[in-house]
Amino acid sequence: MTKTQIEKSLWEELESSVDKSEALSLKHRTYAGDVWFRFRHKPASFVGLVIIFIVLLFAIFGPMISNHSYEKQELSFVNIPPRMNVYELGKGYIYITKNLKPIHIGNDSRLIKALPRIKEDLSKKRTSYDFDSDVIFVDYSSRPFKLMSEDIDIGKTKYILNKTYPLGTDKLGRDLMTRLMIGARISLLVAFIAAFANLIIGILYGGISAYIGGNTDNVMMRIVDIISTIPLTLYVILIMVVLPSDTGILSIIIALGTVYWVNMARVVRGQILTLKEQDYVHGARIMGTSTWYILTKHLIPNAMGSIIVTVTMLIPQAIFIEAFMSFIGLGVSPPMASWGTMCNDALEALRTNPYQLFAPSLAICITMFGFNFIGDGLREALDPKLKGR
Amino acid sequence: MIKYIFKRMVMMILTLLIIAVLVFFLMHAIPGGPFTAQRELPAEVEKALMEKYNLDDSLPKQLINYIGGLLKGDLGPSFKYPGMRVNDFIREGFPVSARLGLITIIFVLAASIPMGIVAALKNGRWQDVLSMIIATIGVTIPSFVIATLLMYLFSHKLGWLPAFGFDKPTGYILPVIALGGYAMSFLARLMRSSLLEVMGQDYIRTARAKGLSEFKVVVRHALRNAMIPVVTVLGPTIAALLTGSFVIEKIFALPGMGKHFVTSITNRDYTTILGITIFYATFLIVMVFLVDMFYLIIDPRIKYEDGN
Repeated sequence: MTKTQIEKSLWEELESSVDKSEALSLKHRTYAGDVWFRFRHKPASFVGLVIIFIVLLFAIFGPMISNHSYEKQELSFVNIPPRMNVYELGKGYIYITKNLKPIHIGNDSRLIKALPRIKEDLSKKRTSYDFDSDVIFVDYSSRPFKLMSEDIDIGKTKYILNKTYPLGTDKLGRDLMTRLMIGARISLLVAFIAAFANLIIGILYGGISAYIGGNTDNVMMRIVDIISTIPLTLYVILIMVVLPSDTGILSIIIALGTVYWVNMARVVRGQILTLKEQDYVHGARIMGTSTWYILTKHLIPNAMGSIIVTVTMLIPQAIFIEAFMSFIGLGVSPPMASWGTMCNDALEALRTNPYQLFAPSLAICITMFGFNFIGDGLREALDPKLKGR
Repeated sequence: MIKYIFKRMVMMILTLLIIAVLVFFLMHAIPGGPFTAQRELPAEVEKALMEKYNLDDSLPKQLINYIGGLLKGDLGPSFKYPGMRVNDFIREGFPVSARLGLITIIFVLAASIPMGIVAALKNGRWQDVLSMIIATIGVTIPSFVIATLLMYLFSHKLGWLPAFGFDKPTGYILPVIALGGYAMSFLARLMRSSLLEVMGQDYIRTARAKGLSEFKVVVRHALRNAMIPVVTVLGPTIAALLTGSFVIEKIFALPGMGKHFVTSITNRDYTTILGITIFYATFLIVMVFLVDMFYLIIDPRIKYEDGN
């Protein structure tokens, strides 16, 4: 029988360690971290966040980089589309506008100037223009009109993109790109300020109503009921009509900020009503904490989840109402641009210049999608029970 | 039940009264009188006008006059169109708006409910994904954008449908889609989530275990319960359709009440703005009340004895 050899090292004491399988394998996350994790891992809401970030950059820095002004009218470059059908000449391109004005475009696709008119020959139905000391004719005797140089027809050549005005110009020759950026500023500014005002009013109103309870609650909520029996848009219209129109953006902020808090007040009240029966609130009250302190330090922070969701839903609503008001002629006053007024202006010329409609409509749609995605994502992230609804 | 209905009626009248008073004072808060125009009016003419419209009375007396007129169904004269009364605008425009609204509601119900049902029953499959994509688009894109884009595509580019007016029946198609788009999407989403929830209930499993056909389970057991939330939001949906119709009527140049409303806003024709607002408010409150009564009938579990 051989003696069993036991390695010396086996007698040595093992390193004392907590069993890994017993340990919590997940990293500890705070509530906010948890919400952020769930939010981030939903593609739609993340896309929404990126969209809004881009729109914000566009609104804040766009007008600074842009070398046009949103209000300067360039009456010789009216209704120039972003994609132009041009005639190619040696010295550059010629674009003929809808009202038959030739415009000289450089070889780099930048607009140079409207060609000066020499003379209109009514009998031959053509107008002659001075193109760098050459004479060219716009012949409108037959449809479609022709561009002629010394009786030779210059055939249509190609489409080029407008490098001076990437989104074209409007009926007064203003750069649509810059106006879109200014419009983004207006829309976001109105939306954020109005949402913030509604947040404050709604939290205070709903919080006080629920916390005091009893008859105060009853009366305060009946008032909310009465306000919300008719659509809030009507109040906004009434307030906008009454406020002097030269205040422009301020009046729309006031109108939106003072009307849309009713939903917020209801949400906050519902939350506070359940929260105020919690033991820690009773505890605080027994310890003699003031009402204000309980409200601001215990109740409102705990109701924050649904409040945030309501706010993110309020922002796209505010953008929509602003656009709606501007669209029916109650929004910002010209020459200020807003997406709604841009849509409204474009509607008049929809048949001839449809490109003017697409940019502002697309901007509104993208922004609305962005905020709605964020709102949906936040709602699910804050309340995982809602998943899949 | 009768007590509840009575209570609601009193509340309704009270609400209307409050709105009327509110609206009246708003009207008088406007800087400058209704006759402040670019051209200065001679003092005598202005005085005569003030007298004609009883604007020289004291404020409380004017209020009483106005409320008195409202009770008789008179909304007062239009300040911008001499000889026209606000009632004339309503009489002229309401039938057009009402017809558009009715068709839109029928379209909304006929489209959204089947869409929601299909989406819920085919949960997670392509039908569901497709319906929810449509619904998301409808909820996010404002109606006036949808309207203008539809108009550009179908009447200007393709030339299939008229761009304005109701001369042909096809003239209704674009306004109805544009107006009902939001409500349809919203109701479809609601229908889907509500049916999904009901389908997970125990009584559905019981019904299946009894050996009922899937059709019977869905129609007899699930749908009846899943419809309730949809009916609840019908009142506010009608409200949304009404306000949405301002801009749709403007875009499609329809001679409805919304168009008068928007025109009176641009003209700053105060009495017309306020008169139409009051009319809208009354109409909406009555509609919401009727929907609530209907809700009471279809859901026997709800009892309104204590008015909650």
